[in-house]
Amino acid sequence: MELPPDGKAAAECVTIGIVTATTVSPADVEEIDEELSDDRPWVTVVWNDPINLMSYVTYVFQKLFGYDKATARKLMLDVHHKGRASVSNGTRDEMERDAARLHTYGLWATVIQD
Amino acid sequence: MSSMRPQSWGIPLDGDGNVGFYYRFPDCFRRTADGVELRLPRWEGTILAELVRLIDGMLEPPPVDDPLEALVGLRDTAPPPPEDPALARLLPDPYPEDPLASGDFRRRRTDDALAHKRAAARRVLATLPGPDEVLLLDEDAAQDWLTTLNDLRLVLGTRLGITDDDYLDELGELPPDDRRAPFVEMYELLTALVDNLVRALF
Repeated sequence: MELPPDGKAAAECVTIGIVTATTVSPADVEEIDEELSDDRPWVTVVWNDPINLMSYVTYVFQKLFGYDKATARKLMLDVHHKGRASVSNGTRDEMERDAARLHTYGLWATVIQD
Repeated sequence: MSSMRPQSWGIPLDGDGNVGFYYRFPDCFRRTADGVELRLPRWEGTILAELVRLIDGMLEPPPVDDPLEALVGLRDTAPPPPEDPALARLLPDPYPEDPLASGDFRRRRTDDALAHKRAAARRVLATLPGPDEVLLLDEDAAQDWLTTLNDLRLVLGTRLGITDDDYLDELGELPPDDRRAPFVEMYELLTALVDNLVRALF
């Protein structure tokens, strides 16, 4: 950046600075604030696929999340009939870890914000 | 998802109507007080060894393009998404609607995910019991077997183009000279083994 050669140019710079600042409307600020403070939970979703066995998927839900058999089976049936089921929720990092663990077992898992 | 529906597969049904699939393969895994025992007849063992060797090559980590990154063994740029649909099935994209997050996930996780699967597959291959042997699996070994057998099913199923349950029924009725028939047979063996091991672990 070049230094302003005289006072006039310096004044222009200041003016430009002010103009720039005022182009950020209050609506924009609100939007940014909303994004930063967005505390909607993250969710790990398992999707239906035609290959994984129902018994296997039930077992994996129990093994990875400690669900009892009835809960694991209900989640598995949700995946089977509705095409998807939310299997855990928490922070984004936690959900990414869950998805990676499900991938280790070959389940088709994604991470979304609820 | 695939259920274990009894099917005749050309074999006549018995009085209970449930002959076929369940009984075509022996129960190889059995729960005992010491762990899970595995017995593999010769044909099953030979097929499994071949399949595990095939998958081992697929689990090679993608090359690191940047020479400096390769030199220090760190990956700073994301590897591209897998082109092979079977490999893509082993490495699902957790952020399909967010390419940036998806790339970042691949950069941080792909190498580890592949290394984990490959290590499990190699331990399975190294401990594959001969036709007259019994292998006793502890909890870790059982998980190696389970994830490897399931990975093989995913790869074979994707290669066979299994996209819905009806298509699987069609595959079961292939004429014996169809070139897919032996692979369907291997897929069904894997199905039986995975279901068998899950039942032993429950």
